[in-house]
Amino acid sequence: MDATDCGSIREWLELEADGGLGAEERRMLDRHATGCAACREELRALAALRRALERSRLGVRAGFTAEVMSRLPAAGWEGGAPRAWRLPLALLAAFAAAAAALVGISSARFHPGVPFAGAVAAVADMMQTAALAGAGLLAASWRGIGLAVGELLAGSPGAIVAFVILVLAVDLLALALIRRRRVATVRGEGSDSSGRSSV
Amino acid sequence: MQRGAGAPDEDLVAAVLAGDRDRFGDLVERYQGRLVNYLYRLLRNLDEAHELAQEVFLKVYQALDRYDPRYRFSTWLFRVAQNAAIDQIRRRRLKLVPIHRQEEGDEEGRDWDLPGPERGPYRHLRNRERGEAIQQAIDGLPWEYRELIVLRHYGELSYEEIAGVKGMPLGTVKNKLFRGRQMLKEKLADYLTD
Repeated sequence: MDATDCGSIREWLELEADGGLGAEERRMLDRHATGCAACREELRALAALRRALERSRLGVRAGFTAEVMSRLPAAGWEGGAPRAWRLPLALLAAFAAAAAALVGISSARFHPGVPFAGAVAAVADMMQTAALAGAGLLAASWRGIGLAVGELLAGSPGAIVAFVILVLAVDLLALALIRRRRVATVRGEGSDSSGRSSV
Repeated sequence: MQRGAGAPDEDLVAAVLAGDRDRFGDLVERYQGRLVNYLYRLLRNLDEAHELAQEVFLKVYQALDRYDPRYRFSTWLFRVAQNAAIDQIRRRRLKLVPIHRQEEGDEEGRDWDLPGPERGPYRHLRNRERGEAIQQAIDGLPWEYRELIVLRHYGELSYEEIAGVKGMPLGTVKNKLFRGRQMLKEKLADYLTD
C-alpha cells in the first residue's frame, strides 16, 4: 500500500482507531499522518468516536449471574446420552442390525435345519478366516474371505444390502469416532470432581 | 483443560457438559456485560435487555450439547441473541420507529468519564446529553449498519466474530463498519471535540 495516498490509507485509519493495526502499518500510518492534517483529524475523530461509544456502555445490574444460575432449567441433555455420542450409537445400532441380518441370512442359507447353530457356525467360520489372515496367510485368507463373501452374497439381494450396510456402518462409525474424539476426551476429563457445588 | 476465569470458552462448555454446572456461571460472567449492552442498544430498554439476556443464556444452556467446539462460543451466543432481539423487536413492532426514551433513572449512576472542566450538575447534564445523542445517532443508522456497530462496540466482537455471526465475508463487515462509523461521526461531530 502506498502510505502517501490518503484514499488507500483509509482502512488503516479505521483499524488504528479500532485498535487493530499492526506495528509495521502503524509506523507507515504515523509517517503519513505527520505530514497530512486531514488524516490526523480523521484519526482523532475516529478515536474520539470509539472512546465515546466505549464510555456509553452500561453496567449490568447486581446479581445478574446468580439470577441466571438460579433459573437454569434441567436441560434435556443432562443425564442422557451426550449428543456427541448419538451418531456413533445410531451407527452402532445399524451395525448390530446389519450383522444380525447377515448372520440370519447366512444361517438360513448354509444350515437351514438348525438356525442358531448355523449362525454360530457362520460367525465362527468368518472369525477363523480373519484369524488365518492375521496369522500371516494373507493371500489364502483374502482368497478365502473373497470366496466366502462371494458365496454368501450369491443370488441374495437381502444379503448384499445387509453387507453394504454393514460396511458403510463400520466406515461411518470409525469416522464419527475420530471426529468426536476431542469432545469425548474433554468429557472424560470433565468428569473429575471440581470441588464446587452446583447451583 | 482449563477451568478458571481465564479458561477458553470451549473448555468451560465441555466442563458444563461433563456435569460442572458452575462453569456456566463463568461464561455468564464473561459475556453478561457485552450481551446486555448489545441487547440494550437494539431494544432501547435496559430492563428488557437484562431480561432477554437471561433468556438467551437459558436457551444457550438448554442447547449446550449442540454447541460445536470447532466454532467460537461467542459467535454462537450472539447469533442466538441476535435472533432473540429480532423476535422481540417484531413482537413489539418497534423496528425502526423513533426512540423509545429510557425511563428516568435507567442510567442513573452511570457517569461519563469524559475529560472536561465541567463539574457537578452541569457535567451531569452534559454527559446525559451525550448519552442521548449517541443513542439517537445509533438509532438513526440503517439497520444493517446499526447491527454491526452494536456488535462491534457493545458486543465487543472482533471483525472475524461479526463475520461469523452475520454470515458475511470479512471485507463486507469492514466496509459496513467503516460506513456506519462515518455516519456516526457526522451525527456526533459536536460531541467528539474533546
